[in-house]
Amino acid sequence: MTKQYAFFVDAKRCIGCFTCAMACKNQYHQEPGVHWRQVYPLNEEIYPHRERAFYSLACNHCENPTCANVCPVKAYYKREEDGVVVHEQDKCIGCGNCIRSCPYGAPRYNPVLKKAEKCSFCYQRLDAGLKPACVQSCPVEALQIVDLAEFDNPNAVQYPAGFPRFTKLNPSVRFILPEQPRMVTRSDV
Amino acid sequence: MSMELPLVVFTVSAQAAIGLVAISTVRQFAGHGPLGKIRQEWLFAAAVLAIGLLASLFHLGHPLGAPTVLNHLGTAWLSAEAVGAGVLLAVVAVAAFTIKGGVNKALGIIAAVLGLLVVYFMGMTYSPPSFPAYNNVLPFAFFLLTAAILGPALASYFASQEKQAMLARWLTGALLVGLVVHLLAPCIWLSGGTVMRETGMAFVASPLYWARIVLGLALPLAVMVRMKSIPVWLPVLLVAGELAGRLLFFMYSIHTASNLGGIY
Repeated sequence: MTKQYAFFVDAKRCIGCFTCAMACKNQYHQEPGVHWRQVYPLNEEIYPHRERAFYSLACNHCENPTCANVCPVKAYYKREEDGVVVHEQDKCIGCGNCIRSCPYGAPRYNPVLKKAEKCSFCYQRLDAGLKPACVQSCPVEALQIVDLAEFDNPNAVQYPAGFPRFTKLNPSVRFILPEQPRMVTRSDV
Repeated sequence: MSMELPLVVFTVSAQAAIGLVAISTVRQFAGHGPLGKIRQEWLFAAAVLAIGLLASLFHLGHPLGAPTVLNHLGTAWLSAEAVGAGVLLAVVAVAAFTIKGGVNKALGIIAAVLGLLVVYFMGMTYSPPSFPAYNNVLPFAFFLLTAAILGPALASYFASQEKQAMLARWLTGALLVGLVVHLLAPCIWLSGGTVMRETGMAFVASPLYWARIVLGLALPLAVMVRMKSIPVWLPVLLVAGELAGRLLFFMYSIHTASNLGGIY
């Protein structure tokens, strides 16, 4: 397998602090209301506890990206060296087809530029030997970057509950499932 | 919830024009009697298609970039849709201006076949994986039904008296199939996963859906069964019904991303 960078989301560690989403905002200064990364709390059906668990999600840089396939102006390309899906905004004509078509909602509409935009995996930072801003900022190391060509964590899953399963796209993201907090009762002491 | 008005106008206009040229081509070789006002019919179809294409530009953030949609004919159905509709407009216009007695047979057949292809491209464009309710053959079926309903309905303004009964039979059949499909689709969605079920619930809970079913399909069907001919006011009601149906299509489709963190 060729090199394919992926986000590794450790929901066991994530505390839902939104630092990753804010780091992305600080890095790229998206328009108000536009988020390339978002932190989603899991429904009680999936995580039945009064504590909450979270998935921090952005573009999944899929192996077979719908955005690139449906874009009529070829504004998307997938980098051969690391599998990052890049949106070239200067080519975009704002048809919204990628926004409508991506099942993970990664491309967002920029109402000022009237164009789509999305997470770039901070490829400029990658090229400079740095981590993506979101990964760099996570205070509990719940968000990491891995190369799927070498990644071998038997506890990681690709499609946990709460994350849509689209095998044709093969999203480049892996999760560690959240754990229920251990309840300490008098009998445990 | 987005109304996507330019796309509503574009898709309904294009499908009406496609239905009109397909019905006109078939009508030319089926049944007896004069063809009617066939040049006006094809010019009308060309004008409707042109209006639709013009409307589609208003959907773009940068309409002047529209010609660049030619860049991705390989995998982007939107490119195929736009190019197909543009070529179809040229074919229909040429056919309209070269009419002598009837439409040139080859041009008529090319326009009808190309029109069906454009409907197929549209069906593929609007059935992405992000909308589970539409990620199947239903958009193509909806669009084909729009063409099948508006085609004979609008053709009634141009066809000769001898061919009105044939148009009425075609319209009655299309309305019957349309009514069944549009009633069944949300019912089937209700048995799907969370997002598909939400789409079904949004449809059946919408007064617009029921208005479209009653005024856009059931009432016209009842009129057709009773009168056996297409009254002059009916195509107007049918166009309004199809526009309402297309509004529903865009407004109440639920995106998978709306349920991230929930069960699918």
